[in-house]
Amino acid sequence: MISGSLTDEQLMEQTARTRPVRLLPEANVVKVGGQSFIDRGRAAVFPLIDEIVANLDRHKMIVGTGAGTRARHAYSVGLDLGMPTGVLSVLGTFVSMQNARMLHYLLAKHGIPFIEPAQFAQLPLYLSERRAVVFFGMPPYTFWQQNPAVGRIPPHRTDTGAFLVSEVFAARSMIFVKDEDGLYTADPKKDRNARFIPRATVSEIEAMDLDDVVVERAVLELLKNAEHRRSIQVINGLKPGMLTRALNGEHVGTVITADDAS
Amino acid sequence: MSEAADGRHHVASFLMRESLVDKDVLRSTETPVVRMLPSAHVVKVGGRSILDAGRGVVYPLVEVLGKLLGEHKLIIGTGGGARTRHVFSVGLDLGMPTGVLAQLAAADALGNAHILGTLLAPYGVVAIPPEMFGHLLPLFVHAVPGVIFNGVPPYSLWEHPPGVGRIPPHRTDAGCFLLAECFGCSTLTLVKDVDGLYERDPKLEPNAAFIREIGAAELERRNLPTLPFDRVLLKLLANARLLRRFQIVNGHRPELLAAALNGEHAGTIVHA
Repeated sequence: MISGSLTDEQLMEQTARTRPVRLLPEANVVKVGGQSFIDRGRAAVFPLIDEIVANLDRHKMIVGTGAGTRARHAYSVGLDLGMPTGVLSVLGTFVSMQNARMLHYLLAKHGIPFIEPAQFAQLPLYLSERRAVVFFGMPPYTFWQQNPAVGRIPPHRTDTGAFLVSEVFAARSMIFVKDEDGLYTADPKKDRNARFIPRATVSEIEAMDLDDVVVERAVLELLKNAEHRRSIQVINGLKPGMLTRALNGEHVGTVITADDAS
Repeated sequence: MSEAADGRHHVASFLMRESLVDKDVLRSTETPVVRMLPSAHVVKVGGRSILDAGRGVVYPLVEVLGKLLGEHKLIIGTGGGARTRHVFSVGLDLGMPTGVLAQLAAADALGNAHILGTLLAPYGVVAIPPEMFGHLLPLFVHAVPGVIFNGVPPYSLWEHPPGVGRIPPHRTDAGCFLLAECFGCSTLTLVKDVDGLYERDPKLEPNAAFIREIGAAELERRNLPTLPFDRVLLKLLANARLLRRFQIVNGHRPELLAAALNGEHAGTIVHA
C-alpha cells in the first residue's frame, strides 16, 4: 500500500479483504422528499413528524431532507445566468438546509438536533441520547460536484447524500419518503397508465430504460458498488403508518436492490 | 408562489413540478457556463512523487513556482503521499469504510499544503483552510499571486464506494480537476515524478512506451494496469464542459512546469 499504485486494480482488490466494521448498524436513514413532501406543507409534514416521534422508542433515525421547488427555481435562474454545476450544487445545499432547519424546529421539543456535515462526529452521541438527528440531504460537494453527462443539474443531490450516509455508517435501512407508493413505469403524476413496480434490481431498472425514476439515478449507480447498503425502499409518506411499517422492516413501497443482494 | 392542484406549494420556474431525473428535462438544462477564474492555472503537486521525495526535488520546484507566480495566478493543490497510504492501510485493517478513509486522507494533504505554503510564503502564497477555500477563492486569486489548498475534494463521509476495493476514488488529482472545471481555470497540470503516461509503469518497466497525447475514451478502452493519476479523472474529463484537457509533467525537471503553463506540450496531455 505504501509503495503500490492506487490505480492498480489488483492492489485495489486486496484493500477489500479485511472485514468492514458496521459503524451504526441500528440506525435507519430516512430521507424526506423536498418537492414531493416538505413543499406540501403542514398537511403532509405534521403527520410524518408525529410518526417519527412515535417511533423514537423503537427506532434510531438519521433524518435527511430534500430540496424541492426552491432548488428548482434556483437552478432555473442559475442555468439562465450560466452558473456551473458546482455553483448549482451550493444553491441546492442552501435549500435542503432550509428544509432541514424546519424539520429540526418541528422536532426541537423532543431534543432532536440538526447537524451539518462538520458535526457528524457527534452523530453517535445524539443517536444514543435523543434517538434521532436531522441533516440536510445534499452531499457537501459544493464546487466539487461532478458535472452530469447531460445538462447542468448536479447529479448527486439529496437522495444520493442520504444514501451515502446510510452506506458509510452501515445503517440498518435506507427509506426514501416520497408522495408516491414507489417506482412506476412512468411518472404517475403525468401518466395514468403508469404501472407500479413493487420490487426491482438495479439491472432490471436499467433494462427498462425509464424516462423517469423515483430516486436519483446516481443512487442506482452507487447501489452497484455499495458495500453495506444493498437495498433501499421508497415509500409513500402521505399514507399514515407507512414509515412505521418500513422501519419495522416491512415491504410497503418499492424495494430496489443491488443485483447480487438476496 | 402558487399552490397547485397537486397540493404542493410551487415557486414558478421552468423546472417547477418537473422531475430532475427525467431525461428530457435534463436535456433542456444544457446551457452555456461562465468561467469564474479563466486566467488562473491549477497545479497539482504530488504527495508521494514530489513532497515525500524531499529537499532535492522540492526546492528546485519551489524556485520555479516562485518565478511562475510573477507571471501567472496559481492555484496549487497538494497530494497526501505516504502518510495517506499509511492511514489507508491502518484504516482498512481496522475495518473503516471508504467514506471514513476519505475523511482521514484530507489531513495528510492539508499537512503537505502547509509544508508547501511555508516554502512559498516568501512569494506571497497562502495556504487556505478547506472550509473557506471555495467561497473565497476569487478574492484570494485577485489579492495574492497564488493560493495553496489540500487537493482533496470535500467528499469525506460522502465519498462514493469504489467498484473494486475500498480506497476512496476521488483523491487529490480529482479534487484539483473538479475545482479547475467549476472555476473555469485556464489549465490543470499534474506534477509527478514521471515524464507522463506510459503503456506500463516506467518504474517497473524502463522500456515501457511513452504516450505523448491521448483521449480519455481511448485511454479508458486501453485499460492500462496503472495510471499516474486518479482513474476517475477519465470519467470526469468525459463530462467536462470547461476543462477539456490536463497535462502531466515531471516535477523532477521543474522547467517543464513553466513550459506547460506557457501552453507548451511538456509531458503527456490527456484530452476529452
